Parts: sequence; structure tokens; C-alpha cells
Amino acid sequence: MLNNRKVRLMTRLAIYEQTEGKEDVRISKYFQTDYVRLNVLKSVVAVTFGYLLILLLLVVYHSEYLIREAVTLDYQGLLSKYLGIYIILLVVYCSVGMIGYMLKYRSSRKKLAKYFRMLRRLRSLYREEAVELTEEGKDKE
Amino acid sequence: MIVTILELRARVLRFLQKFQLVVEPIVKFIIAYAVFHSINNAIGHQPQLMSLPAELLLSLLGTFTPPVLLVLLAALVSLAHVYVASPLLAILVAILMAVLYCFIARFSGKYGYAVLAVPILFLLKIPYAVPLVLGLVATPTAIIPVACGVIVYRMFVVINSVALLGDSMAIEDILLMYVDVIDRLVADKQMLVTIAVFFIIILVMYLMRKLSIEYVFEISVAVGAIVCILGFLIADLALQTELNIISMVFGTVGSMLIALVFQFFRLALDYTAVERVQFEDDDYYYYVKAVPKINLTVPERSVKRISPQNGTEFPETEERRQEREELLSEEERYAMGDELDEAADEDVDAENGDL
Repeated sequence: MLNNRKVRLMTRLAIYEQTEGKEDVRISKYFQTDYVRLNVLKSVVAVTFGYLLILLLLVVYHSEYLIREAVTLDYQGLLSKYLGIYIILLVVYCSVGMIGYMLKYRSSRKKLAKYFRMLRRLRSLYREEAVELTEEGKDKE
Repeated sequence: MIVTILELRARVLRFLQKFQLVVEPIVKFIIAYAVFHSINNAIGHQPQLMSLPAELLLSLLGTFTPPVLLVLLAALVSLAHVYVASPLLAILVAILMAVLYCFIARFSGKYGYAVLAVPILFLLKIPYAVPLVLGLVATPTAIIPVACGVIVYRMFVVINSVALLGDSMAIEDILLMYVDVIDRLVADKQMLVTIAVFFIIILVMYLMRKLSIEYVFEISVAVGAIVCILGFLIADLALQTELNIISMVFGTVGSMLIALVFQFFRLALDYTAVERVQFEDDDYYYYVKAVPKINLTVPERSVKRISPQNGTEFPETEERRQEREELLSEEERYAMGDELDEAADEDVDAENGDL
């Protein structure tokens, strides 16, 4: 016999599992600190890579000037300037990333908690059903 | 009039629910086709990719793969076009895309589609629909994919104008062209203005739709549209952005209509039946305002004939008729009468076919 309540609950569970749930379950495999650290690290790599590409574009853009002035350039000044920008970028990305990923982790945890509550309800439904069945069995005997 | 529209809404939603399995791929295919077709129209240089079979094949690929892949495919196709026009520009575009991805696009989140939608809708002259729709559903962080979309579009505008100037292989010329492109990109006021205005629209709509007033979603769409028009006008006056004002105004109006239709299908509220209740518990006093969703149930098809072979019809029972009359006024029933009977007939036929 179909149990409407059970079907409804299972449908909701399945919808969650197949959409947001996937990501949430993946995230839940990490501790909060690990998750945040990993993602901040990814951001650092991405920012470094992007910054190097921008530097490449800049070098090509100013190539004529650079070649002309190659001997007299203030290399130390340039280095400290671009390194400074890089560090500022890193700090901004790391701090924003840390806050952002922390919030994301917490919200995904909350959603998972709700999911587990629904699972528990489903389990209790199963138990109720089992009890009913055994009682019916006894009646027949 | 309004009842007919609501009726239509209920019907469309029910249809979509029923045939989701079929409708979803079709919609995805249409979107993918629109994407590839408009890319080909805008920057088509590679003839093989522009043929109809290639377009259809790519769209088919986009239909059955996750959305991320569609974005990637679109990027690759545009790169291929640019490569035919000028290999150097293609390298430049690839680098710029990579930079864009590293710095911003990674954080697009679930509205990543906007990266594609903005350029495509720019070609259709209604890019304003993106912030107006996102203002209804998203948080202000949605500006990230939207800004990426604007940057991508402006980048291709610049690239295209340069690519038309022709290609030469001399190192001197290549360097000049490169410097020219970068100069134009950096000096592109239109890009910054567009991103700023879009951000303001999303922010204003986000703040507005939290207010507890009637028709708040519709009002916030209208406010968003006004912000859009005013923002672009002011920017144009202050910065001379060479904006086509007439097309902007009409585009905004069109986008507003799109956003309103979207809102109508997303959520229709019945403000004539607002319930206000007040109560308290140990910690709080509550002022609750509950707005019911309009839930017009399309009257279930009443299958009158049980055995259509000999064509006998069961008369409507008195009970049923009374029930129906209570539900609907004369006029409303007139509005939906004929169609319903037709639909019922079709249903019966279909069922017979199955048997």
C-alpha cells in the first residue's frame, strides 16, 4: 500500500539529494577550517595565475619602452611596486574568501541538518509501518 | 480578462510540470542554439562553424551537457572565430578570459548562466532584462556573473572592431594592434558605466523587494527600470558614453516586460485577500501579514463519456453543477467553457489509444 506521507517525504529528500544536496554532502566531508583553507588556497593559486597573466600583458604592452630603457630601468622600484599590488590583492581575496566560504559552509551545514531531520522522520514512518504490520499479523493469528 | 490570464498561467505551469522531461531539453536546445547563432552572427569568421549543421550539432551538445560546458563551448567557438580573423587577437582574448576567470568568474555561483545571457541579450538589445530579473530573485552578489558578461561583451565589441581593420603579420603591426586593443579596453567607459548601473539596479531591487508593501515585486521591477534609464542617461550626460538613448529606453521597456512576465509566472499573489493577524508568545509580539498565492485550479477535466464507442453521455449531476456554479461566475465560465470541452475530448481519445 502506498503511504502518501512517505512518498512526499522521499520526493523532497530525493529532490534535495539531486540538486543542492550533492554540493552540501561534498562540503560536509571537510571540517570547516579545512574547507575554508582549501578554497582560500585555490583562490590564491587562481589570483597568482591571473596576476602573472596580467603582468605578461603589461610587459608586452610596454615592450618597446622596456627594451629601449632596459639598462636604466629601476628594477627594484618596479619589483616592489608590483609585488605590493600582488600582496594587497592576495590579502583582499584571502579575507573576503575566508568570510565567504565560512558562510557558505555554515549554510550548507544547516541545510544538511534539515535533510537529516527529514531522514529521521522517514525512519520513524518506517517504524510505525513495521509496528502496524506486526500488529496486523498478530490479529490474523 | 484577468481570470483568463490566470487560467492561462495555471495551464502553462501544469503543462510544464507534466512534460518537464520533454520541455527541459527543448528549452536548453533553444537557448544553446540562440547562443551559438548569435555568436556566429556577431563575430562569424570561421565558415565551417557557421554552417547550419555545425550550429545544430553544437546546440545538441549543449543540450545534454551541464550548463558549465555550454559556457565553455561558447567561449571556444568565439575563440575559433577570432582565431580565423587574427591569431594574435585570439591569444589575447584567451588570456583575457583566463584573467577574468581567475579573478571574478570563479565566484559566479548558481547564476553563472548570466555570463552568457548578458552578451546574448546585448545583441538582442535587451540586456537590461538580466539585472531586472536577477533583482527579483538573487542577492547583490549576482553582479559578479553579470559584470563578467558585460566585460565579455565589450571585449568582443572592441576585438571585432579591430579585427575588421585587417590582419598583418609584421611584428610592428601586431604590436600596434595589441596596444590599440588594450588602450580601447581600458578606456571603455561604457563597460564601467554598464556594470555600475546594473549593480545599482540589482541592489535597489534587492532592498525594495524586502519591503512590506503591496505589489512589491512589480513595483521593484518598475523602479529597477527607472533606475536603469536614469542611470544610463546621467552617465551619458556626464561622461559622453556614446549611448544610443532611444534603443536604451525601448530596450529597458522590453526588458521590464520580460521581468514582469517572469515574475507573473514565478509568483502571483492575491493582494485582495491579505490576512493580518497579531498575536504574542512569551518573547515576542507578532504582526503577521500573510498574502495568499493565487492558486487557480484549472477545473479538472470532467470526462463525461464512459463508453465513447456508442456515444452515450452522462448528464451532469445536479450536485456537480451547483458546485461549479459556486466556484465560477457566469462570465468566467464563459471564458473557459469551449476550450475545456475540447481538451476533455482529446484526453478521452488519448486514453482510448493507450488501451
